[in-house]
Amino acid sequence: MRASQINHGLDFMRDAFNEASKLWWRFFDWLAVVEWRQLFLTWFLAVVFCIILNMPEPAFWYVLISFGVKVLAGGKRRAELVAKEATMQANVATLERRLMEAQMAALQAQVEPHFLFNTLALIGQLIETDPQEAARVHAHLIEYLRSTLPQMRARDGGTLGKQVELSKAYLSIMQARMKDRLGVRFEVPDFLGSAPFPPMMLQTLIENSIKHGLEPKIAGGTVTVRAYVDGATLHVEVCDDGIGIDPHADDGIGLANIRERLQLLYGANAELVIHTPPAGGACALIKLPYKMMETA
Amino acid sequence: MLTLGTKPLTAMIADDEAPMRDLLRARLAAVWPELRIVAEAANGVEAVALGEQHQPDIAFLDIRMPGLNGIEAARRLYQRSHIVFATAYDQYALDAFEQGALDYLLKPVSAERLATTCARVRSRMKTPFPTQPDIGQQLAKLTSLLEHKGQEKPKTGYLRWIQAQVGASLRMVSTREVLFFQSDEKYTRVQTASAEFLIRKTLKELAEELDPDEFWRIHRSTLVRVDAIGEVARDLRGRHMLRLRGHPFELEVSRNHTYLFQQM
Repeated sequence: MRASQINHGLDFMRDAFNEASKLWWRFFDWLAVVEWRQLFLTWFLAVVFCIILNMPEPAFWYVLISFGVKVLAGGKRRAELVAKEATMQANVATLERRLMEAQMAALQAQVEPHFLFNTLALIGQLIETDPQEAARVHAHLIEYLRSTLPQMRARDGGTLGKQVELSKAYLSIMQARMKDRLGVRFEVPDFLGSAPFPPMMLQTLIENSIKHGLEPKIAGGTVTVRAYVDGATLHVEVCDDGIGIDPHADDGIGLANIRERLQLLYGANAELVIHTPPAGGACALIKLPYKMMETA
Repeated sequence: MLTLGTKPLTAMIADDEAPMRDLLRARLAAVWPELRIVAEAANGVEAVALGEQHQPDIAFLDIRMPGLNGIEAARRLYQRSHIVFATAYDQYALDAFEQGALDYLLKPVSAERLATTCARVRSRMKTPFPTQPDIGQQLAKLTSLLEHKGQEKPKTGYLRWIQAQVGASLRMVSTREVLFFQSDEKYTRVQTASAEFLIRKTLKELAEELDPDEFWRIHRSTLVRVDAIGEVARDLRGRHMLRLRGHPFELEVSRNHTYLFQQM
């Protein structure tokens, strides 16, 4: 009986001690991060309150202890807390980036089955009527697949020149299918060929132009790819004179993917701008930082 | 041989890709030499016009065509012409064709397959119209199938692009880029991560047109992107302030919208 009473008593003491130390450390943390201005305010209130109650000692001790703690240990503790928060934020950022990388890997493998089947059908037809044209389209298709399937993507694909080359392969295939309904114009100066440019972005913009702008238009139209440097920014623009953008049409996974990747690669220094020129159609412009090549 | 003694059957070919029309014409000449090709159309609108003009016995229609797609064209033509669809890849449509016993061709058209289809069409042509029972209904069903396939989100009709005048051109801002909308006297301010635009559309109009799962109204004058919401905390004056994830904006949540953030 007595032993258990003692045990109860000890338990209570332990709990009370735990509570008190928890409270003390919370007070300590609060002191460490609280602004001096706010601390002065609490001192003032404590002093006024205690003077009204006519017992100034607690206020005196409060002021003394909190001042001492803040001066002696506050800096260290505050640094600890800040570091802890930064670590947490860094963890979240890393996680988010990993998630995004995984999403990107999944998204990059986007060869449309429609495109593939139609092109194969075209090649099958051309083999009989125009074998040379069949061989040409076939070569373009291989080049296109090499760039599009992630597991086959060449390591050196990250220059504007390479991306333009691959886009030309895709556009040649589409021209073989759409004939004179599709016009193509490239205005990319040679010196920009070596400029770094992320893979599959130009490709996505051109595919969008054809799929949403020109294919649905009976008369067809022209895709224009333009690149130029303005100050320290590389501009790469894909314009079409198609049916324009329906404000109620989903912008699709392709554009969202480009935006995410630009954000990941260049942060706030890059952007994707979509606009519709007064004459109609749609333009998509990628702006990213351009460094003068280390001309050796 | 079935058409011997009567006038030869006529056909129309509709496909937006010229090489595909060439192939089908060449194949038809080989497997069904008596068939007369009276018209070739390069899009759906042309197909309907030429179909009405020539009234061919058979219409070969590609499914994906600009203007009108093949199924929409078929809905206008099926009462006068027997319809044969052609497609390179449309699994959903192929299933529907099989179920509805509609005639179709897979591109590129092989000679054997075309011969089978032609034999079937010929035997159907022996019986007078209507040769294809309730085809109208089936086509209506196919149209709705075509409209809804390929969209992961069944939700359509919500505003997805904000149009903002910038200089001479119209900037198209995807709603995915927008962090929040805030009414600002005469205009509505559209805030993205990197820029802000002023548009004339009112917040009330926006609230009606935007996807209510994409943007929440948190204040009489504020619509915020749900994905961008970081946390909601009370400030010293007891107001609920909403912080955006990764962006230095603070937005006030009005009292009658705080219920959105309870139990979070």
